Amino acid sequence: MQITSAEFKRKASAALRDTQLQHALGRMQSHFVDKRAAAMRELPDVEALRDAATAIRARALRDLDQYLSQFERAATAAGAEVHWAETAEDANRIITEIARAQSVRKIVKSKSMVTEECALNEHLEREGFEVVETDLGEYILQLAHEPPSHIVAPVMHKNKAEIATLFEEKHRRPRLDDIAALVGEAREILRPHFLTADMGISGANFLIAETGSVMLFTNEGNGRLATTLPRVHVAIAGIEKVVPTLDDAAVLARLLPRSATGQSITNYVSVLTGTRRDGDLDGPQHMHIVLLDNGRSRLLGTSMEPMLRCIRCGACMNHCPVYQNIGGHAYGWVYPGPMGAVLTPLYAGIEKSVDLPNASTFCGACVAVCPVKIPLTDLMRELRSRQLAQGLRSSAERWGLRAWSWAAQRPNVYAWIARAAARLLRRLSGRRWLPGLSNWTGGRDVPTPEGRTFRELYRDRHPK
Amino acid sequence: MSARDRILARVADAQTVNRHAYADGQRRYQAPAPASDLAPLFGERATRLGSEVLRVEDLLEVPAAVARYLATYRLAPRAVCWPELIALPWSRARLEVEARAARDDDAVGLTGAFCAIAETGTLMLLSGPQTPATVSLLPDIHIAVLGAANIVATMEVAWARVRARHGALPRAVNFVSGPSRTADVEQTVTLGAHGPRAVSIILVGN
Amino acid sequence: MTCLVDLMRPRIGFAALRLLETAGCRVVVPDAQTCCGQPGYNAGEFDSARALALKLADEFADCEYVVVPSGSCAGMIRVHYPTLFAHDAIHRERVAQLAARTYELTDFLVRFANVTALPGRFEGTLTYHDACSGLRELGIQRQPRALLAKLPGAKLVEMPDATTCCGFGGTFSNKYGEISSAMAGRKCAAIGQTGADAVVAGDLGCLLNIEGRLRRLGDDNTKVLHVAEVLAGEPE
Repeated sequence: MQITSAEFKRKASAALRDTQLQHALGRMQSHFVDKRAAAMRELPDVEALRDAATAIRARALRDLDQYLSQFERAATAAGAEVHWAETAEDANRIITEIARAQSVRKIVKSKSMVTEECALNEHLEREGFEVVETDLGEYILQLAHEPPSHIVAPVMHKNKAEIATLFEEKHRRPRLDDIAALVGEAREILRPHFLTADMGISGANFLIAETGSVMLFTNEGNGRLATTLPRVHVAIAGIEKVVPTLDDAAVLARLLPRSATGQSITNYVSVLTGTRRDGDLDGPQHMHIVLLDNGRSRLLGTSMEPMLRCIRCGACMNHCPVYQNIGGHAYGWVYPGPMGAVLTPLYAGIEKSVDLPNASTFCGACVAVCPVKIPLTDLMRELRSRQLAQGLRSSAERWGLRAWSWAAQRPNVYAWIARAAARLLRRLSGRRWLPGLSNWTGGRDVPTPEGRTFRELYRDRHPK
Repeated sequence: MSARDRILARVADAQTVNRHAYADGQRRYQAPAPASDLAPLFGERATRLGSEVLRVEDLLEVPAAVARYLATYRLAPRAVCWPELIALPWSRARLEVEARAARDDDAVGLTGAFCAIAETGTLMLLSGPQTPATVSLLPDIHIAVLGAANIVATMEVAWARVRARHGALPRAVNFVSGPSRTADVEQTVTLGAHGPRAVSIILVGN
Repeated sequence: MTCLVDLMRPRIGFAALRLLETAGCRVVVPDAQTCCGQPGYNAGEFDSARALALKLADEFADCEYVVVPSGSCAGMIRVHYPTLFAHDAIHRERVAQLAARTYELTDFLVRFANVTALPGRFEGTLTYHDACSGLRELGIQRQPRALLAKLPGAKLVEMPDATTCCGFGGTFSNKYGEISSAMAGRKCAAIGQTGADAVVAGDLGCLLNIEGRLRRLGDDNTKVLHVAEVLAGEPE
């Protein structure tokens, strides 16, 4: 996917002025935050569960090479073919080759963020294949030629009127204004595609090393249709998605839907192992699993490794007050919100996404809800440090930091600056604009200091 | 060197640092303790997620229960079923039932269930020659026949049962927790996205 | 003493002193202290944060407890100093000891001082905003409320989403001013819903941000107060 994170400030500013978007974002509290909280309350010991989930993901990463090999052996034994892709381009090429070899014409897709990373749809379309997104949200975005703004609810930025207009125009059918009717129309349009597709492409929520299975959590049923009806199933997943055992997956299954949508379980959980067996009446004849690196192995063994624990639930963005105000598009790449503020610099380029790790108040709401306890704020801070080391921050900021650091180590200088600043600010009080603070004064008054500093007053009262 | 070898080599290299970084022996998560009577818990959870739960005493009563259900919803007395279930006396209940994989025009699909999970109100279906996956997927209505004795507490127990009975996994294990749904439009939950619009569970025995 | 209190609102510092002295503590304010290093640390400038941490550890070496009228500065010392020195065998122990005896003001008062009578008094309703670092790094939530419950005349009303960030975030508030203002705007709306006479918080950064937005929105009445100010009241 093309990265546009350099335009973060401009897009965030536009998002704040977009009343329709602001209305949509207003739904986040009740639909994500409150629902998650209610679903978590059902569990006897959430902290123990989060610790267990964290340990499972950490263990998988610690012995990732062994689990990947184990996964490959088991999947191959069950009749799947495992492919390894170092980059997004490699993944796209591998999938194109599979499609060519199988004389595929039409491809149905189940929602997959990794394929967004690869811009797989665009690639396959350029290669002449018909690609149909079948998750309702992704389908709407495909019609609208827009990227997702959320990893779980990709079209949360649109309202039903916009979707009604889009369907009316693209489906050439009478306009429907009711949500259930719109869902029904999409079902009618998409069902024939499932029945005539030659290939189904899915992601994977987890790869089970023990059994070589692909595990999918879905609600709509499109994931099941896309992996059952077409004769070829291609699953693509990042190499970090492996978990050791089915029992480990059962533990994670308690947290993933609750964290994502506040469901105790998604409507469907499918564990797919290999191809159609002897005597089976349905299921794909060919299964291919593409394991994608695309920058992941570089994070192993570094301070960024905890990010690889991520199970893509989206709770961090749902609870992020910055995301809640600007939505996902401003982040400019596949993954928005706090997880995107870490992943985008790491996967798509630290120099192309300088704003992202900085556009956080470090309020820690994301860390508090992460099911696998990723220290997102610590990782963002580490990325800020790397930006400084690589000279990616503005010179004003760099000099400002240097001056602050110099002064703070010299108490007399520091006290004098504070004194001067207190008096200056007091004199300027009431102004609605101040040089250097224009971003503050754009929306807020400048507070007036008392006039003398604490240090001065304290010295007066406690003479030596 | 292949892509596979290069990726695995990078992973292994990073892990020479890494393997010592974690303390092992973290406490294993203990799944919530099972209630003594799982059927009511299962029924309550399944209903909450939008499944309908009907009860019959005996397996032979299932066809009549299905016929009544179809009549209530004014559906034609026709269905596709898992081959495993074809021996039930369907014709006595005046039902036209075919054992095969499902097709697009099937309105009703009849399946059994390998087991069910009380914790979440979930059916566990295993694919196989006698239990094709499409029957619970393509029809608008999915009716599942579940023996009350086959309700287990958690997904972990269900996995143990699969290992004990079958050793390896079938091609597809599908956990089903109610009718298909989407909340993609304005986060409003709407039933009947791409899969069945209704799921009905006929619980057999006590 | 925090940099913002020194610069903007010394009375918060004196209020903290009054509360601690009322509780029977002997309080010293080391003269040479400057900044805990948080702005640099959060900007990614770890070396200068380490230098300031060691400077602070020296200045407070003789104190039994270090009490800070700010959850974010206290969190810096308690939680982040040990991280900064995790791989520094020479200073690790000293920094860990400093961290272990550092407390946010209300946390300290509830833990160690048996506060029965507060010097302050507030006639009217208060609503409390949970500042992020104090809340999530130090678990400051119950403590200020317990103290405010003992304040004569005051009635506490909870605002919706009291634990949602106000949008300050240090330099964030100026670097991403528009987003920060929007976040502060939501906070002001939540405060407005309570109809409280005053909003109270434990961090001056949040207070300046909230006050700036309230005033810009035309609310000149709602008082914006540090928890120490409210609890300590006006000096005699």
